[in-house]
Amino acid sequence: MGAGVTEPAPSTAVRTRAPGAEATPPRPRAHGPRARRDALTARAGIAMYILPALALVGILLLVPFGYTVYQSLTEYDGISPAEFVGFDNYVTLLGAERFHRSLINTVIWTVGTLLLPVLLGLLIAVLTNASGWPVWVRYAFVLPYAISGTATGVIWGFMLRSDGAVNQVLGAFGLDSLQQEWLLSWPMNTIVMILAETWRAVGISIILFLVGLQTVPRETVEAGMLDGASGFRLFRRIVFPQLRAVTVVVVGISIANSLRVFDVIWLLTQGGPGWLSETLAVTMYRQTFVLSEYGLGSAVAVVLAVIVVSVSWIYLRQQMPKRG
Amino acid sequence: MNRRKSAVTAAAIAAVMLSACASGSETSGGASDTLTLNGDRADFVEAYKAAGEELEELTGYGIDPRNVPSTESYQQVIRSSLQSDSATDLVKWWSGYRLKELARTGGLANLDAEWEAAVENDWVNPDTAPSFSYDGHVYAMPMYKSYWVIFYNKKIYEDLGLSVPTTWEQFIGNAQTIKDAGITPFFGTQEAGWTAFIWFGEILSKLNPEFYADLMNGDAKYTDEPARRAMEIWSDLYERGFFTSPDVAWDDEPALFQSGEVAMVPMGTWRNAIFTDNGMTEQDYGAFVMPTIKPDVTPSVIVESGVFAVPEKAPNKEAAVETLGEWLNPDVQEVWVDEINDISANPQVEIENPILTSVTEQVQQSEPIELERYWEASPPSLVAGNVKDLATFMVDPSKENIGPTLQRMQERAEQEWAKWEQE
Repeated sequence: MGAGVTEPAPSTAVRTRAPGAEATPPRPRAHGPRARRDALTARAGIAMYILPALALVGILLLVPFGYTVYQSLTEYDGISPAEFVGFDNYVTLLGAERFHRSLINTVIWTVGTLLLPVLLGLLIAVLTNASGWPVWVRYAFVLPYAISGTATGVIWGFMLRSDGAVNQVLGAFGLDSLQQEWLLSWPMNTIVMILAETWRAVGISIILFLVGLQTVPRETVEAGMLDGASGFRLFRRIVFPQLRAVTVVVVGISIANSLRVFDVIWLLTQGGPGWLSETLAVTMYRQTFVLSEYGLGSAVAVVLAVIVVSVSWIYLRQQMPKRG
Repeated sequence: MNRRKSAVTAAAIAAVMLSACASGSETSGGASDTLTLNGDRADFVEAYKAAGEELEELTGYGIDPRNVPSTESYQQVIRSSLQSDSATDLVKWWSGYRLKELARTGGLANLDAEWEAAVENDWVNPDTAPSFSYDGHVYAMPMYKSYWVIFYNKKIYEDLGLSVPTTWEQFIGNAQTIKDAGITPFFGTQEAGWTAFIWFGEILSKLNPEFYADLMNGDAKYTDEPARRAMEIWSDLYERGFFTSPDVAWDDEPALFQSGEVAMVPMGTWRNAIFTDNGMTEQDYGAFVMPTIKPDVTPSVIVESGVFAVPEKAPNKEAAVETLGEWLNPDVQEVWVDEINDISANPQVEIENPILTSVTEQVQQSEPIELERYWEASPPSLVAGNVKDLATFMVDPSKENIGPTLQRMQERAEQEWAKWEQE
């Protein structure tokens, strides 16, 4: 270092150190039996706080999951003693055409309920937030979220069956050629059920995006406008990047919901006709509770759980801001 | 100190929650002079109570009914409770292979003595014993005896000048006339899942009842000619546009029948209750046993019986067994069938409902062989799987789809029968 070199700037650590910190030497660690007892008591106190949550998660989630994994390795009909069969149930699943169809349907559901509720939710939130659309328009889209999946199934069943409201309306307007057996052919039945679920689920996306939009600082939007951005460009360059955190949550919720969708399908088609519109969640229910093949049903449950957890984990790991 | 208190409180709450979990749910219980009964039919609850009052006079034990609304949940409840001491004293179940499935685990009490006594009193047809037995022993008593018939809308028949068919040609001719008048002749749906077997069972049993029985017992194949022929007939009827759409709601059936949008409904006589509850009378509808497809075919009728059984671990097992010994007593049955509007398994019990009376008269006249309903006639997992294939066929009832459908059903039959024999 030469003589002319200026004094280096103080490091951040030095700058942020609390005034007088150096004057107070670190408290020497206490030793001896009393100190150990104190430390133990503190740890026990912490453990007591954590224990209820641990117990609940363990008893209600981990133990049943562990039992399900064990059951997936057995052949069990709910009455006779379970017989250990190793990975036979998984081999059966992999070779079953119905399981493949169930997997395909699950993928279609995931893509569909990922794209539609997220895109529609964002669109409706933006339109009702920024423009002069009346509030009731927002309510009209949000309210279905308050309806249970079961009620959604009943309503859409009334609409989509061959003698239902949709075909009747089409007939009334002379559009007989557009009338369809909506729930009877694949992939039409899966697509219309995704639309039904979108109708119900888009509400939560709208709410979350609205919350996100209202946290976007007005200054950033105004600055963008001053720089000449407007319309879609303003939204894409200025607003949308600031909705990243909300988008991560909405997409995460949509992924988890789509992978475990059950009620709408069960009420509209029971996974049928035959097995045509089953998803993994429906297959799991039918194998276990209709066919009483608990081992096979548990194997489907394990496959579904692994998919849900891994997809959610990978997605969140990629999207969530990294620490440090 | 506060921290310690909070920790103790949290631990106490956790302990209470855990103990609450550990106590589980109880399905048994009740006073010892009242027998608990579990079922999946909410509409039977009042009838259980009414029959229970009669039983109490005979045995000293009344009935306290419980109900699980979902049939699927109910089956799981019973399956799991049979292995524990939380079973009710009496359980409603299904006959045939569904009963055998429970009985062979040793979970049900033997009712041989009660059955024998009922036979001696002429309270039950002894020929029906196989439906309630496993390995030569009786494990259940019939709740009712439903015959599977075609309910028909009398107003449509009268308006179109039709008469009750006695031959297959008349039956199909009537359907064509009804179709030409712009009315859907037959109700048929796969919407409720199980309903997909109805037309297959009806057509096959009227085409070749002996083959039907063999097929149900695993002694014949779904790919054999009679099964293929039955599917062809079914496909022809679809081609002629005789059926409702396969996704029409099962729950809408009574309304469609009553309003005259559908002229004929194949169903067990247990469906009679809902028709009468809806205000239909003998002026509005009637019932007939579907004619055989050819005159030389043996007359047959499909029969269905729900059953009562006693879990081996029932808290009041002896009293429950004794009560089922009196179940078929005419005093009890008259009250019971009057409430449920169906036919008693006790042939001595007279029925007041004119529709049901006409059915029993037809049965007495033609003396058909009685066949078990498809749902109970084979191992449950075989039936549940094949019903799905029949549902798929209803959506595509083409001739080309017959072969693949029957092939899949046969493959499943071979697998499931092998599993059944193995277990």
